[in-house]
Amino acid sequence: MLEALTDALLLALDPSVLMFVALGILLGITLGAIPGLSGDMAIALLLPTVFYLEPASALGLLVGIYKGGMFGGSISGITFGVPGTPGAAATTIDGYQAKLKGKPNRALHTALYSSVAGDSSSDLILIFIALPLAAVALKFGPVEFFALYAFSLLLISALTRGQLAKGVAACALGILLSMIGRDPIGGSLRMTFGIPELAGGLSLIPVLVGIFAVSELIVQVSKAWAAKSRAIVEDAKEKSKMFSDYDAAADKLPFRDFLKLWKATAIGTGTGTLIGALPGAGSSLAAFISYGLAQRFSRNGEEFGKGSMEGVASAEAGNSATSGSTLIPLFAFGIPGSATAALFGAAFILMGMTPGPNMVRDHSDVIYALFIILIYANLVNLLMGKVLLPYYSKMSMVQPRILLPIVFCLAIFGTYAAGNSLIDVWVLLGAGLLGVVLRLYGFPLAPLILGFIVGPGAERALRQSLLIGGEWSYLFSSPIAIGFYTTALGLILVFTLLLRNKA
Amino acid sequence: MLMQRKRLVAGLAAAAFGVAVGPIMASDTNGDSPLGDSPIRLLIPFGPGGGSDMTARVLTATAPEFCGPRIDVVSMSGAAGLEAVNHVMNAESDGHTLLVTDYGPIVTSGYVDDVEWSHDDWDPVMLFTEWLPTVYTRADHEIDSIEDWVEQLEAEPNSVTFAHAAPLGIVHLPLILFEMETGLENRHIPTSGGGETRSMVMGGHVDLGMTLPASIASEVEEGTLKALGTFADERADVLPDVPTFKEAGYDVSLPAWLMIFAKEDVPQETKEFLQDCFMEALATPTAESMSERTNAGIDPRGMEASADLYHNTVEMVGSILREIGEID
Repeated sequence: MLEALTDALLLALDPSVLMFVALGILLGITLGAIPGLSGDMAIALLLPTVFYLEPASALGLLVGIYKGGMFGGSISGITFGVPGTPGAAATTIDGYQAKLKGKPNRALHTALYSSVAGDSSSDLILIFIALPLAAVALKFGPVEFFALYAFSLLLISALTRGQLAKGVAACALGILLSMIGRDPIGGSLRMTFGIPELAGGLSLIPVLVGIFAVSELIVQVSKAWAAKSRAIVEDAKEKSKMFSDYDAAADKLPFRDFLKLWKATAIGTGTGTLIGALPGAGSSLAAFISYGLAQRFSRNGEEFGKGSMEGVASAEAGNSATSGSTLIPLFAFGIPGSATAALFGAAFILMGMTPGPNMVRDHSDVIYALFIILIYANLVNLLMGKVLLPYYSKMSMVQPRILLPIVFCLAIFGTYAAGNSLIDVWVLLGAGLLGVVLRLYGFPLAPLILGFIVGPGAERALRQSLLIGGEWSYLFSSPIAIGFYTTALGLILVFTLLLRNKA
Repeated sequence: MLMQRKRLVAGLAAAAFGVAVGPIMASDTNGDSPLGDSPIRLLIPFGPGGGSDMTARVLTATAPEFCGPRIDVVSMSGAAGLEAVNHVMNAESDGHTLLVTDYGPIVTSGYVDDVEWSHDDWDPVMLFTEWLPTVYTRADHEIDSIEDWVEQLEAEPNSVTFAHAAPLGIVHLPLILFEMETGLENRHIPTSGGGETRSMVMGGHVDLGMTLPASIASEVEEGTLKALGTFADERADVLPDVPTFKEAGYDVSLPAWLMIFAKEDVPQETKEFLQDCFMEALATPTAESMSERTNAGIDPRGMEASADLYHNTVEMVGSILREIGEID
């Protein structure tokens, strides 16, 4: 054991490995920050390098990209209001509001610290208690997954206070959009209107970037046109004053201020680690549930959605805390629980290791080295983030008329590159128009995205349950599922009563 | 664009650290190549990182030396894979754009989807490997063999839950074929893929599942999973103790091949050149060691053998789909 550990240390701390980790993180942060491009995509592209690099260097590169990408997604979310990766959608809700209030730097630093905190805890859990947690994850079958999805949809739809109906409507619209394409059970086509390109359904990235980014762009452009009318000129002046008056010195986040966010970060870390360990649940779901729970348990819950640092911290910790635990099912059972885990699984296979419990035993040197890399890559991520963030927060204060066209081009480029698909670009533009309509009528956008992400899983889980059990009562046959339903009901009851008392 | 960036990124890594990533971007121009200098693109109708992607990448590393131009793998999973298939169909017939696929997106889709091509518009260039769909369950499940499974279904029809990836895909059609052959009925539970099938089997949420041998071989050897039988004429190399359904007395065999296809109107000599240079590349020690490492089980066959297999599959899948009423 001790010998294996020394070998692993020597492998992991080799200067070339360190350099690959740093290169990976730089690439990851940059690609993650471009809307549409994600760390996953870069990992997929660089997978073949595994054939040519030493295992530790290759793993260092991939781990670096993954971790950098996880945090990088929040950069464009906070600075432009466009989540760079699906996982950053929840971070965007408060992060962008904070930026509009002239605090991009605080929000970015909160995101960085909570991301690193969540990520590190999750890595420790992967290293020390992967097996027990994996055993719990296996208990999640269709019945339990449906309960989890139902719980998360309820939690998120009710996020925006006083807008329950609009939240539920946006969420339902998201689920409806996710149903376009092939029926997951019967295999027949639904809502494709004879367009063969829609057979595979709408892809997440164009919908996400379209709803958030393209709609924002359209709104800004029309504002500029409408600025001929006087009243809006004043408004625009005020806005541009905010941008030119940006005071970088006042927008700092002392570390002790971050420590005040411990509760939100802890909720995010715990939730993210658990959700990450469930095969198929994913980082966006983890971020949204963390955000929802943090709001429920915060003393300043009403600040959420208006630029709350707790909102940023919980979402980003939740998102990043999936990064270690998403590998748990892969290590424990050889089950890839997420797209990223599948890519890491492929990398292990390319290195001649079969993912599963024997991998740790048979290749202890490489796996221990990977564990060490997972931990110190967080430090590299932190350092590199600290160095880069001041530039990103300055960039976020460039005038929107210059910034938005650039973001728009990046979004189109990123969307096309993600799937090599021109259809995705049309979906992007369509989603942009839909986003404008929703903004005009004051619908929250986040529940729509969550509905779109969770919809297919929830539908599959529900229909699988009914196929296995044969009747609806089967949905209540598992203690875990009943636990989720009771918690959801309990949360609703408690908060309705609390709100009534406050009023 | 994807490929340019891949080269850029790979180039960056190589330039910065002097690492030998050369073979990815190798472009040793072969003067005799009838394909000229522009790259050969292998389109994959699935996401990156899967079996087809990894198998095709063996060619990007080894074939440029024999074929002439660089070889790129492009993953295009849109429209359930049809985007890749249609892209190859709409490309120039010069042999530079080829399709790497199992029978799902080309044979099954050719029947059930509204496509502008027919099965005869495609010609196999070569075959990489044949994957053998295998039925498995967790080690402590009461069903131990094909016989146990059949007995339980005869005693109580519809009492076994069976998880499989996408409906009518390569790990579902064999089950349908088996039911047609025997008249038995299972409860079919479609999943999002091999990973979900596996966690449902291991977690005890369903009784049986179907997958491809490489993904369960080490667990079967360890005894954490058990494989009941394989839908093929011969046993899988990595699962030598697992019987075929034929051995158990059921004439059900539906291997899932992985082939490279060209459009039918690509000149015959171009197809032959591609076949020859791919086969040569796959016979190199590098290719063999890559295949070994990735469990890809590459066992190449030429265009004639591939064409026979392709036309058989077209016929077989057609008769299954007609029987279950999916097509007229």
